[in-house]
This record gives sequence, C-alpha cells and structure tokens, in this order.
Amino acid sequence: MELSTLLSHVLQEMFWGMTATIGFAILFNVPRRALLTCLLLAAVGRGTRALCMETGGVSIVPATLVAATIIGFLSRAYALRLQMPSTIFGITAAIPLVPGKFAFETMLGVLQVASLPADTVSALLVTTAVNGVKTGLILGALAVGIVAPSLIFHREKPVV
Amino acid sequence: MTDIPNSTVSSETLTPFSSQSALSRPEHFPYSDGHLHKPPLARDEMRDIISLSLWAGQMLLQYGADSARVEEIVHRLVTGLGCDWADIEVQPNSLVATTVNNQDFRTRVRRAPSRGVNMTVIAEVSDLSYRVYRGEVDRIGVRQELRRIDDLAPQYDRAVVIMTVGISCAAFCRLFGGDAAAMLVTWAASSAAMFVRQELHHHHVNPLLMITLTAFVAGIFASLAWIFPISQTPGLAIAASVLLLVPGVPLINSAEDLLRGHIVTGMARGFYGLLVSLAIALGLALSIWVTRGKGF
Repeated sequence: MELSTLLSHVLQEMFWGMTATIGFAILFNVPRRALLTCLLLAAVGRGTRALCMETGGVSIVPATLVAATIIGFLSRAYALRLQMPSTIFGITAAIPLVPGKFAFETMLGVLQVASLPADTVSALLVTTAVNGVKTGLILGALAVGIVAPSLIFHREKPVV
Repeated sequence: MTDIPNSTVSSETLTPFSSQSALSRPEHFPYSDGHLHKPPLARDEMRDIISLSLWAGQMLLQYGADSARVEEIVHRLVTGLGCDWADIEVQPNSLVATTVNNQDFRTRVRRAPSRGVNMTVIAEVSDLSYRVYRGEVDRIGVRQELRRIDDLAPQYDRAVVIMTVGISCAAFCRLFGGDAAAMLVTWAASSAAMFVRQELHHHHVNPLLMITLTAFVAGIFASLAWIFPISQTPGLAIAASVLLLVPGVPLINSAEDLLRGHIVTGMARGFYGLLVSLAIALGLALSIWVTRGKGF
C-alpha cells in the first residue's frame, strides 16, 4: 500500500475510534480530567491495530493483542501521572477494539442456523463458527493485553 | 504510626492475656507472636473502621472495579485507619472482611449487587484511600467523604449521554464500513435505545430484561435503513446500533480477575457478560422477526 493511502487509512481509523469512545466514556461517567486521555489512548489503540494489520500483515487477533498491550502500558503511565486508577483509561480505551461486528454476525448466524432446514446450513454453520472463534479470540487478546502490565509488575508475596 | 519497637515494655506485659485493659497498653505492643502492633483500638473504633472500609469496597464492587483493586483499596483504608491487618474476600455480589488490631478482630459481610459502571466513584474512592494512607483524613473525614461520593450526581446530563452514545454508535458503523445514511440511522436508533435504557433503569427493571428491550428498540429503529432503501449497508446499521449494550466492562474485568487468581468472581463476571450478549441477541431477533416476519 502506498504511504499516503496507509496514512489516511490509519488517521481515519484513529479519528473514528476516538469518536466511538466519547459516548462510552460519558456513559461510564469518566471524570472530566480523564476524558481527553481516554480518547487519546483509544485513538492510539485503533491506530496501532490498523498499522499492524496493514504493514505487518498480521491478522486481527495478534494486532489486537499488540494494540491492547500498548493501551495497557499507557494507561498505567497516565494513571501514575494523573493519580487515578488505571482501569478508567484501560477499559474505556479498549471499547473501539471490541469485536462488535463479529459478535453480531455470530449471533445472527446462530439464529439463522436454528431456523433453516438441516441440509442447507453447512456453509452458514462454518461462517458462524469462524465468526464466533474470531469474536472469542479478539476479546481474549484484548483482555490479556489490557491486563498485561499488572501481570508483569504486580508481584506481591502471598499474604498467608 | 511507625513500627518502632518500644523497648520500655516490661516482660510481664508481653503476654496477650494480661489483666490490663486494651487502652492502657503501651504503643506498638510486642505480643508473644513476635509481631509489633499499632496502638490498640476500642471496639467501637474497630466497628467504625470495618463498616467504613466495607462501604467503600461496596461502592467499588458495585460500580465496576476488578476484585484485586477492591481488595487493595479496602486493605489500604483499614490499615490507614489504624488496624494492623485486613483479610478481604471478594465475592461476585458481596464482600467479607476481617480487620485485625492486636489480638482483637471484627468480621462483617456486605452485599454489593452490581449497579453498572461509574468511573468517577472508583476514582474518588481510590483517591480517598491514598489520602487516608498518608494520614490526611481520619475516621470522621472518611465518613463525610464517602457520604459525599455516594451522593455524587452523574457528571454528565442525560441528554448529553443520549447524544454522545448515538454519535459513538454511528462512529462504530463507520468503522465497520457503513455509509453516511447507515450512520444517520444508527445514530437515531442508538439514541432512542439509550433513552429507553435510561427510562427502564430508572424503573429498576431487571437488567437482562432491560437489555433485551433496549436491543429490541435499537433493532426496530435500525431496520428503517432496511425498510426504506436509503443505505447500501443496512445490516451494519443494525449491528452498530446495539453496541451501546456490549458488556465490555464485565468481560474485561472477568479476564483481569481470572488472570490474577480471582477465579470465582472472574467466572461470574464472564458468565454475566455472556448472558448480556444472549439478551442482546434475543432483543435483536425479536426486532428482526417483527419487521421482516422471519428470523427465528
């Protein structure tokens, strides 16, 4: 892909990812002084995922893992800087990476499988299963990435 | 309150079963267990500490903090207010704590059913726990602060929430590859759905029923893009308009709990996320069935 197309693609992803986060940040009643950071991290996450997929040639699952890990570490850094729990930034910024479309298609596929005659559903069943697996793996990658810093840094001795 | 050994303690007072009253003991009394302790607290002081700390923990658990964070903040509050130690057990819908001071302890259970997500409360309670830890707030102050946090009105107006949630879902529609007409329909559908959700929430409808009904409303409105051929991508409008219901917080908290060893709460949150997804599917299926007469 040409550099200008790539750049415009990534910038668009970042812009719309940021827009997609605003409503959720407000729905989650994020403190006002954390709002801009949440949007910034969301844009970074969405941009990283697009960049990984376009230039690295990786599929959506590892790309999500990379993006979510970056969000996780950045949310730690901003949590220290703004003196706020890192959950606020991590969870809110993860929202635009949630596999909504795949989840929706899985849902719809399952409902269609239930209503169609048995001998005609094999292709639909495969598509639905693929969508379901993608949804699960993306969600898993997302969660592991966001939690990664606490897995690495948090090494309390067991108390009992 | 530093843990400096008190060398003036005579050997007779070393036994925890001495006849002296708790209040007349010297500070940082070394017990036969070999530990140094903070100044002894009266029973009513310990009662205050455990009820205040559990109140804070209850708010955290209700408004979407993960289990490790609840434990950490409650522990910081209990020790910051003068106890030696706290053992905290976080359950999916309740939490139990035992506070320890010298040889004395108190235990209490507090229910904390989920009430959605409120990041401001989490930030405020977390901040309060650090202030207590630094010794800036005492028990009286903690009670006042928790009362204030509990009574905090939402930061954003209802109308603002409806508008911005609509904008967000429209942005999701764009990210999925929808055209401008589909984005417009998504905005209308998810705004309407958000309004319905707020109304149902206000009337304390069962959360899963609320989600089904909201998804139904979103599906009905989004089907406009299908009924009137204004958009090339009507399916994406339906997919994006229910995203305001996606259980992102329970699912991410579930993973965090599971990975950090809180298996029970992690499984409970994950299962709740799954139930919410099924409720969305049910609501959407109903709306498709109503508008197109098929789908089941």
